[in-house]
Amino acid sequence: MQKLLFTLFFFLTSQLVLSQGFQVNFQGQKQQGMGGAGTALPIDGASLFFNPGSTSFLKENSVNLAMTPTFARTLFVDANTNQSARTNSPMGTPFSAYAVYRKSAESKLFFGLAVYTPFGSTVQWEDEWMGRFALTRLELKSLFIQPTVSVKLTEKVGLGVGFVYCVGNVNLQKDLPVMDASGNYGHAELAGKANGFGVNAGVFVQATEKIGFGLTYRSQVNMSVTNGQATFVVPSSLEANFPNGSFSSSLPLPQVITLGFSYKPTDKLSLALDVNYVGWKAYDTLAFDYETNTSSLFDTKSVRSYENIFAFRGGANYDFTDKIAARLGIAYGISPVQNGYVTPETPDANRINYTAGLSYKVGKHFAFDASIFFTHLKRTDTNIETNLSGTFTTNVVAPGLAVIYRF
Amino acid sequence: MNFKNTKRLILGLGILSFTFACKPKETSIEVSAGDVDPTRFVSIGGITTSGFMDDALYAEGQENSLGAILSEQFKLVGAGNFNQPLMPSSSVGWSQNGMSRLLLGYKTDCLSITSLSPVRIASQGDLTGFGSYVYSSSNKFNNFGIPFIKTTEFSTPGIGNPANGLGLYNSFFTRMASDPLNGTIKADILAKNPTFFTLFTGMDEVLMFAKNGASVGSLTPINGAAGIGFDGSITDLLTDLTGNGSRGAVSNIPDVTDFPFFTTIPYDGLNLDADNAFTLNEIYNPIGIYFQVGKNAFVIEDPTAGAFGARQMVEGELILLSVPLDSMKCNKMGSVFPFRNEFILTNPELLQIRNTISGFNAVLASAATTYNLAFVDSYSFFKKIKTGIVYNGISLSAKFVSGGAYSLDAVTLNPRGNALLANEFITSINQKFKATIPKVDATKYRGVIFP
Repeated sequence: MQKLLFTLFFFLTSQLVLSQGFQVNFQGQKQQGMGGAGTALPIDGASLFFNPGSTSFLKENSVNLAMTPTFARTLFVDANTNQSARTNSPMGTPFSAYAVYRKSAESKLFFGLAVYTPFGSTVQWEDEWMGRFALTRLELKSLFIQPTVSVKLTEKVGLGVGFVYCVGNVNLQKDLPVMDASGNYGHAELAGKANGFGVNAGVFVQATEKIGFGLTYRSQVNMSVTNGQATFVVPSSLEANFPNGSFSSSLPLPQVITLGFSYKPTDKLSLALDVNYVGWKAYDTLAFDYETNTSSLFDTKSVRSYENIFAFRGGANYDFTDKIAARLGIAYGISPVQNGYVTPETPDANRINYTAGLSYKVGKHFAFDASIFFTHLKRTDTNIETNLSGTFTTNVVAPGLAVIYRF
Repeated sequence: MNFKNTKRLILGLGILSFTFACKPKETSIEVSAGDVDPTRFVSIGGITTSGFMDDALYAEGQENSLGAILSEQFKLVGAGNFNQPLMPSSSVGWSQNGMSRLLLGYKTDCLSITSLSPVRIASQGDLTGFGSYVYSSSNKFNNFGIPFIKTTEFSTPGIGNPANGLGLYNSFFTRMASDPLNGTIKADILAKNPTFFTLFTGMDEVLMFAKNGASVGSLTPINGAAGIGFDGSITDLLTDLTGNGSRGAVSNIPDVTDFPFFTTIPYDGLNLDADNAFTLNEIYNPIGIYFQVGKNAFVIEDPTAGAFGARQMVEGELILLSVPLDSMKCNKMGSVFPFRNEFILTNPELLQIRNTISGFNAVLASAATTYNLAFVDSYSFFKKIKTGIVYNGISLSAKFVSGGAYSLDAVTLNPRGNALLANEFITSINQKFKATIPKVDATKYRGVIFP
């Protein structure tokens, strides 16, 4: 099982900054079609992520597999030189799998297993770009495995809790401003595996037939790298100054508190609204502690000073027939990155996400969901640590597809 | 709608999004020369302007000179070709003393310790390359960066004439002068009919005086007529340069005593064990000098210091990098044998040097106003380097070699340092003349090369 998980894990490449910071919110195609809202609208197995409390209100067992190929392109225009550089990051493949099961239609108890990628990004900047001494490549992957229990306490109230085990890895690379006789700059690569634990808990209230409320808490997960490997390529005369060896570091994946609201004006139309409060303040410093320090290689502490933020998500679902449904959504997210702290690894900005989706049921057991996501980010800043100054513009497009087996 | 249609629709969405995924578009940013006419840009100055670095004039250094880097940016707003008196591309270079350029290599000292150190790339300088006469009347030079030129010498006839004798002519001008025997530098500059110029002068003469431990020659007087005093010479030069309507930029000069050549060896770097401290106390206690185990100030010759003419250094005084390091480490130079004055800048000497620098800088600042020129504050730029700066993730300081801004001679900037200084010029020019000339990407210029 462990091996399978890791195999699965290494096939994932995540994606650039899809939501604030390096958080990704591609967890369910239906919810994606509705701007990423769904805390108070139990519609499918993705409720394991959105609100484990609402899972017990599902009407059937299902297995849900989804993938959202993500295309992100960032342009940086240097404020001093007017010169530009681009990312050529690989396609991101956020992935999610949800299985929910109850013994019988009368059972108040749902069991679920969710496997998803809530945080991640791979940013690859073009060779020799002007920020090469700040970053050339960052690959951050995380895979959450969440066994969950959801109970329908009363006809109106559901409660659920999931235990989260997280595995991840990080690979950060940059050039070093030491040149050898052939004109090559040094290069540093910090790679490591990390893991962490957390919970995802929620309560769902179906206040009336038309109105629902949800409240969830996803705890902070501290991803700690204890035995990372630092590899340096430097001119031979400096090899003693940059010894390869181990390092430790940690990255907090922040807690998220979400309040959700749903409303069904008619049988065919559902509306959902979520407000996320994300505890990015936990990402205060990115520190690297090297096992061997030298006069050139010392432990680093880069201040990130992220701030807690709100995100607002809203969407609508319309059932045209029993088989076909369509969705539209919009979201507004505030960036946790303060002015002066924008980095090439997370060229973040306040953003509006536009989404749409479509569902189609085939026969008794199968269903397909599709969604599309678009966002555009623009941020001008001068980083106080590196003094890299300019404007980052990012476009992200992510079409997603899910296959659902219902039983 | 059937399944097939859905599939098509999804495929369509996929293709659509791919097209969207869309690289962000680059909006073109307007660049403008503002009130600058960059057609014929001429750079005037000394070592920094010429590209002299690693203690030699050589082609790669010249290609990364302050003048050359500025000219590349001016080309973006319409400047023409920038012609330099280049050394041959494969030349090992030529120092003031006929040596080849420095590169970073390994040196084994008297204690048999091998470490990174600047070493000469060849046993002697490239006399053939340096001796070649490169002037061409059909392709006059744009770069009048002349290593070790004094401000008083721009209007001196025959300043390129070797017959004047050592110290009375400038061999770096000889090879590029239209008339080495009788001509002046100023006449050659004016013959190019510049439409824009940069002037960065005054540093070389102060630097040469300081590098000799204030023991040879004298500093140019701040006030005096053209050819004698600094202010008269500046007025003479700028009057003629701006006479045809040319605009320009003038820079003040750095505090040269901040350069790593003067700051690498600490004044109190004499580390003594009990035996050595005892021996030195035996020698020096009678004249009132006492040593302790651990850190001590070095001993220097000072004729004003009592009958024996020796004393310990005090805080603030500087030891030059020209000091024979092996003699210091193994033969008790700086302790039993006091450092000679040529390796030291004492506090009175430093005062004299710094007073001259501030005097020159007052003249330069007021000249910028008088002649309506952009004023570049290089003094502050070099102070910032000393404190330490970060440029696009690169840390730079005035530390010898590892600081990354200076070349291996510890007094001139390396290409990256020159690029950063060029950006200071561009900032001032843009501000003064309402121009939007892009700055240089200094990450594209090399720092120190390590073996």
